[in-house]
Order: sequence, then C-alpha cells, then structure tokens
Amino acid sequence: MLAQRLIDALGADAVKMQPEDLAVYSFDAYTDGSAPSAVVLPASTNDVSAVVKIARECGEPIVPRGAGTGLCGGAVPIEGGIVISFARMNRILELDAARRRARVQPGVVNLGVSTAAAPFGLFYAPDPSSQKTSTIGGNVATNAGGPHCLSYGTTVNHVLGLEVVDEHGEVFKTSIDRPGYDLTAALVGSEGTLGIVTSAWIRLMKAPEAVRVWLATFPDVESASDAVSSIIAAGIVPTALEMMDAVMARAVEAAFHAGYPTDAGAVLLVEHAGFEDDMDAYEREIERIAKEHGATTWRAARSQAERDALWAGRKGAAGAMGRISPNYYLQDVCVRRSTLPKALHAVEEIAREYKLTVANVFHAGDGNLHPMLCYDKSNPKEVQAVVESGNAILETAIALGGTISGEHGIGYEKRDGMTRVYSTNDLATMARVRDVFDPQRRLNPEKLFPTGAQCAEVKPIV
Amino acid sequence: MTAESLAALIAECNRDGRAVTVRAGGTLSGMGYPPDPDALQLSMLDFDEIVEDAPADLTVAVQSGVRLRVLAQRLAAHSTHVPFDAPFANDATVGGTLSAGWLGPRRHLYGRPRDFVIGSVAVLADGTIARAGGMVVKNVAGYDMSRLYVGSFGTLAVLVQANLKTIALPEATRGFLMRLPEGTRARAISHMHALDVVPAAAFWIDGFKTLEGEDGIEGRLFVILEGSRAVVDRGTRELRAWMGRAGVPDTSVIDAGAREAFERIVDAYVASIGERSITYRIPAFHDDAIGRAMALQTLAQRFEFRTDVIVDAMNGDVIVRVSDLDAHALGAKIEIFDDALHDDEPEAIIIAGNHPSRAVLAVWGSAPDALPQMRALKERFDPKRILNPGRFVAGL
Ligand SMILES: Cc1cc2nc3c(=O)[nH]c(=O)nc-3n(C[C@H](O)[C@H](O)[C@H](O)COP(=O)(O)OP(=O)(O)OC[C@H]3O[C@@H](n4cnc5c(N)ncnc54)[C@H](O)[C@@H]3O)c2cc1C
Repeated sequence: MLAQRLIDALGADAVKMQPEDLAVYSFDAYTDGSAPSAVVLPASTNDVSAVVKIARECGEPIVPRGAGTGLCGGAVPIEGGIVISFARMNRILELDAARRRARVQPGVVNLGVSTAAAPFGLFYAPDPSSQKTSTIGGNVATNAGGPHCLSYGTTVNHVLGLEVVDEHGEVFKTSIDRPGYDLTAALVGSEGTLGIVTSAWIRLMKAPEAVRVWLATFPDVESASDAVSSIIAAGIVPTALEMMDAVMARAVEAAFHAGYPTDAGAVLLVEHAGFEDDMDAYEREIERIAKEHGATTWRAARSQAERDALWAGRKGAAGAMGRISPNYYLQDVCVRRSTLPKALHAVEEIAREYKLTVANVFHAGDGNLHPMLCYDKSNPKEVQAVVESGNAILETAIALGGTISGEHGIGYEKRDGMTRVYSTNDLATMARVRDVFDPQRRLNPEKLFPTGAQCAEVKPIV
Repeated sequence: MTAESLAALIAECNRDGRAVTVRAGGTLSGMGYPPDPDALQLSMLDFDEIVEDAPADLTVAVQSGVRLRVLAQRLAAHSTHVPFDAPFANDATVGGTLSAGWLGPRRHLYGRPRDFVIGSVAVLADGTIARAGGMVVKNVAGYDMSRLYVGSFGTLAVLVQANLKTIALPEATRGFLMRLPEGTRARAISHMHALDVVPAAAFWIDGFKTLEGEDGIEGRLFVILEGSRAVVDRGTRELRAWMGRAGVPDTSVIDAGAREAFERIVDAYVASIGERSITYRIPAFHDDAIGRAMALQTLAQRFEFRTDVIVDAMNGDVIVRVSDLDAHALGAKIEIFDDALHDDEPEAIIIAGNHPSRAVLAVWGSAPDALPQMRALKERFDPKRILNPGRFVAGL
C-alpha cells in the first residue's frame, strides 16, 4: 500500500523497500536506529511534496537524510517512517558569480559548491571537516560549522533563503532580504523538524588574495589554550585557529607525516586570509603571543604545498584516530573562549578519572571543544565509562557558561541534555515554533526536543 | 525595571487583551504602520544596563534599551565594535535596531546585525520569560530563537536583552568624496565591487544635505575604506588610479571625520522633512541599483516630487526620499505615487516619513511568500495580538 503509492508517485527506481536496502539507512555517523518503512530518492521538489502527502495519509513520519555524516543521530529513524534521501537532488541550479550567490539542491556536496565557484574566484565559506561528503541540506539542517567559520561565521551566516516543503507537502520560500519573520534563521539548525529543505540560496565569497598558515607547538595543552585565549582577547580573529593535543598530534603525524613535532604537548594551527599587506604584521603579532605563552617551535608555511601539508593533518584527524583506538566517541561542546584553558583541564581530569585516553582536536578560536574519548566497543566497562565521561564533559561545559553543542547538533543523542541548558519556559518557547510547523510531530520525530517533550511536558506554563 | 516586572505587566495586558506599543529610541518610528493610539506605550529605555562586558571573549551582553552610542563607546575602550550602522546612534537602541531588522551599509563586509546576536532574553505576550543561546559564539542547541526575534518588529516578543559578538575596530578609516560626470556613474558604482580593497561603504548620493551643508548638489560618490593603515593606503592608491582613468575631476580625502561623515549619511536614510516627505528603501543589487534608482527618480519627477537619493553601491540598497512643498501637496499625490512605485518595485518598503497618509501606503511592500507560516507563528506567540498590533507586515 505505502510502497505502491510511493512507486506510483516517484517511479520504482526511486523507492527502496528491501530490508538490506533499508538497513543502510538505519544509521548515521553517530548511531544505529531502526530500519525505516521505506526510503525514497526524490528527484524534484514536487517529488518531495508527493512523498510528504503520502506519508501524512499513511501516518508515517519523515526523516530527511543528507550524507548521513551527522554525529548526533539526526538522520536516523527512531520509529520507522520514510527516509527521504537527497542523493538525486544534487544539482547546482544557479550560480550567479556577479551577485555572488548560488541556488543549490540539498543533496549537493559541500565541497562541490566551492569547486564550482572556484573558476569565478569565489568560494563557499562553511567548511565542516566532512565537506567532501556532507551535503548542503545536512549542513543547513545542522547549521554546520568548520575551521574557517571562526571569522566567516557558520552556515546560518551564509544562507540567503530557502525553499521548503512543509508538513502538508506544500512549498514555501524564505528570504533574509524580505521583511517578515526570519524563517530562514528558524529553519537553519532545526534538524529537519520544521520542514524539508528542497533548495537553498547561498552566499559565495571572494577568494582572499593572500593566505598564510602557521604552526606553533607548545609544551602542554594549558599553554596552548592560554595562547588561544590571548589571541582572541587581543581582538585578533584569524580565519582559523585549530588545536590538537599530544595524543592527536602523534596519531596524525604517524598517519600523514604532516611535519608535526612528535614531542609536542599541543599543536596550534593558525590560518589567516586577507590582504598580503597585513600578513607580516599578523604573523609577528601571533608569533609574539604564541612565544609569550611558551611556544617551543614556530613554523610558517612558505608555499601552497606546505600549507596543504599542515592542513592535511588537521583535516585527516578523525581518520587517524583508528591508530589510537578501535572506537572513539566524539563529544562536541562550546565554551566561552576565555575559559578554554579551564575547560581543557577539566576534560583531562575527567579522562583520568575514568581511565580513558582522550584525544583533542578542535576549533579552539571559537571555544568549540571536540574531545575524542577512546574505547573498545567490546568492553562494556569502557562503554559505560565513555557514556559517563561524555556526560561529565557536558556538565563541565554548562558550568563554564557553555553549551552542549557547538556544531554537531542535538539530534537523538543530546535531546535529553536540552533540559540542562534551557528552562522549561525556554524549551516551551521553541516548542511553539514546532507547533506551528509540525503540530503532529511527523517531521523527524524524537529529535532535538527532550523525551516526552512531544506531548505534555514542554507546554508553556501560563 | 526588570524582566520580571515587565513580564508581569505584559501578562496583565494579555489577560485584559490590551494592546502594547513597544518604543525605545524612536529613531525608526517612520518604519511600519502607525501604532494603535489606544495602546499602552511601553518604553524600553529603562533597560539600559550593560549586563556583561566580556572583552576577553569578544562578547557583550546588553539590555535592549542601551543606546548604540553608549555601547560603541564602551566597546571602543577595548578597540572593538558591533557594526550595526543604524541611524542616529545617540538615540537608537540595541533592541530597536534589532527588532526593526535594520540593515546597515557595512554588512557586506562585517555581516548583518542578526549575525552578531548569540543570545537573548525576551518576554512573550503571555508573560513568559524566554532565554535563548548564551555567551558562546557557536551554539546549535535548539532553534535559533534570538535571530527569529530580530526583525520581528516586536510582534513576537519583547526583546529585553541581547548577547552580542564583537569584532576588532579597524585601525584606520578614510573617506573619499568625488563628483562624477554623468556618463561615468553606472560604471563607477559597479566598479566599487571590483576593487581589490573592497570599500567598507560606497554611496552614490544625489540630493540630501548630508555632507557639504549645501543644497541641490549634483550627484556624488562617497567611499569609506577601512582596515589596517597599510590596506587603507593601498586602497587609496587603487581608488585614485581608477578615478584618474575614469576622468573624475576632483576628489577630497576625508581623514579626520570620515566616520562622522559616514554616520551622517546613515542618518539621512531616515531623516524626514517635516510632514512633507516619505522615504522608500528598495532592495536592489549592486549591478542594477543605480538604474533602478534613476527610474524611480524619473517616476517621482512625473509626480513633480523632489527626490533625494542614496544608493548603497556595495549592498545594492536604494534609498529614495520623495518630498513636496508641504504636507498637503504630498498628501494629494502620494497614494497614486505609492501604487506606481510598487508596480515597478513591489519589494520597496517605507522607512521614514511622518505624513499622516503613511497608514494607507504599502509600507512593507508586497507580502512575503511565507505569509501563512508567519501568521501561524504570530497566532502561536501572541494569539490576542497585543504586541505592536497592526504595525508589521500584512497585519502580523
Ligand atoms: C569525519 C567527520 C567530520 C565532521 N566535521 C564536522 C565539522 O567540522 N563541523 C560540523 O558542523 N559538523 C561536522 N561533522 C558532522 C556532520 O558532517 C554535519 O553535521 C553535516 O552537516 C551533516 O551533513 P549530512 O549531509 O551528512 O547530513 P545527515 O547526517 O544526513 O543529516 C543531518 C541532519 O540534517 C537533516 N537533514 C538532512 N537533509 C535535510 C534537508 N534537505 N532538509 C531538512 N533536514 C535535512 C537530517 O534529518 C539530520 O537531522 C563531521 C562528521 C564527520 C563524520
């Protein structure tokens, strides 16, 4: 019945119903969920509308899915439903170089936008480390960040407008340039719970004329994070300011031979893009601050190849983790930048307490921590320790005035953490927005809001 | 006043179904439909506290009634700023600027006001105090409620506090004023985008007694360069070389007072002439803005209106102020003119003008595509429609 209706609407090749096919869509980069009732691969906005209407009539929830690289279970079906994969909606519909904007379908891979824009001297700034696979739809839904979002801002700063299919299957458009409520802002980061993005107008930026990359090593994480806080406090916001601790740096060096000193306690990677005229002054200032905080080595990449080599280590960090541990859990919290030293110290303490190896590689300039907790899935004690220490890290971030996710999202993973950062009133206010766009909780249910919040718990107290 | 006492007051109004008009600096009172005269006037000016100044984080938390000038002075002490670029900064407030969705001329370089907002405290119509975001610069925990309040014209909630990201003040600012021979205008304006040292702001100004204190001056281009001294010097050389090639006759460089001159232009966006002017804002693009501005000037001439025009060459905003000899003369023609203007420019909005007939003009331009969704949102947040009723887009 469901199958036939979907096939009638989209064609047999756009509908997957075989258990082995469905299984592929039951997990993302964070977790396994349940198998969906069906997977559809629409080719157009009309197809998406048709699917939503059928789902509504059949009482099936909808789970939108990009590349499945999400790290919080956002694209994972929890109670079955229809997974909408955007793998076939992967075209750049328009690229207006003169006006520096592009309109893209949700399935376009992030890096594909910059590749297409490069011949015009333009690029798309948000660059999640998953940019070779993750999609614009997924990026928009999670408000993805990346190393260069430090000075350019996260996805929300680069989305000009959206085309959205609502819970009824109707299409509406948003634009940040028109008066009225900023629905673009509401939808970006809403993790598929308010509507299904079927195309996005995005902003392209002019490629900078000069880029420099520097690498500083420090005896320990404390001194490196002090240096980061001092750089920010000096009003310097480089285009990227990324940090790795000793465990991570050694793994990366072993895997990529990026040229990181293996005896370093911490490695700081700094990039600045802008005018050639400013570069020397920038370099001197950042070098001075780094050395003031005890940097033991300081290197400046002298060529594109050297810059790429320094970045290759950072970009491949997640891949290098396999050398350290069979499994790892990647936490994502964001703290005030001045509290970075404290936060890192606390993470170290937590890892020690739970006898876990922790590797840190993160967007230091934003205060966005990514501790990777190493464990072995087959050891239940370690699994338990990872769960508890992950929670302890959340508590630490909150205690330091921070938040439970800087960029990966809430999804299924952290939904119950929401009550730790927000009051019932705060959550009820968000739920009002959900009430408007998805009163039946059919769009990506069991995500983002705490358990039970779908019904009575999170209602405004009046 | 505290958020709690405000919440109690709003909740009471909500119970009684009493309309509330939220006011602050009054600098953007020419935006939107006129307020309900019977509504309770709520001034946010008592919310004037800088809640937390955190220079080491490059963040600041302020109550919504804090004046932009006060914030700017506080931040300048640590060489930072939040480039809101709203008119009349001495009077304008953070909350008013954000709620009105003000878009300033330097946003192409530094970002929109909304993109500086990292957290908020708001009071909803039923008296709920709702917080969102925090003091961290990256946060994806839940919906971005703060950005949703920005530009909502106070019709979803009353913004009590905004937490903001700050950025370093540029080391140098330099202004350039040049007269452009008629044939070079369009090319000159579109060329601003092609410069290596992209101007922080570039305006084509025709009319407006903003800079020289003289009236009736033919069009001129005013450019602001910002950045390190080295970059501003380089930009100066680049701009001069280009002007030379284009045959621009005379140029004055403004070093001292460049920022003030810039502010005066921004003030002009919403400066009214008594009750005899109406100012429109048209969202164009940098490559068609001048053409669209000139078409509107021609249209206004047909109505025998006087026009003052600013074209923001970087963002493409077109500001057109039409005026007549007196309020009566304006009133006799403005409705037909408004129709004709919206036929050509359906997205034009009105940003200033005290003429009583403003109430019947298409103040917000054509309805946005997602109006049904916006209406539903309003209904869910303010079912009794007590917050700034009748002032916003399509009665939101
Ligand atoms: C190695 C690695 C590195 C990473 N690095 C970063 C990083 O630097 N920064 C960062 O922010 N994240 C990072 N991530 C996380 C992840 O890549 C991002 O969250 C990304 O935005 C997800 O995109 P996706 O296409 O894979 O979406 P998915 O994982 O498929 O989906 C993510 C969410 O978006 C929703 N969604 C997808 N498409 C749509 C649509 N069209 N309409 C509505 N909702 C939709 C889904 O329902 C889900 O809730 C990383 C992940 C990995 C595995």
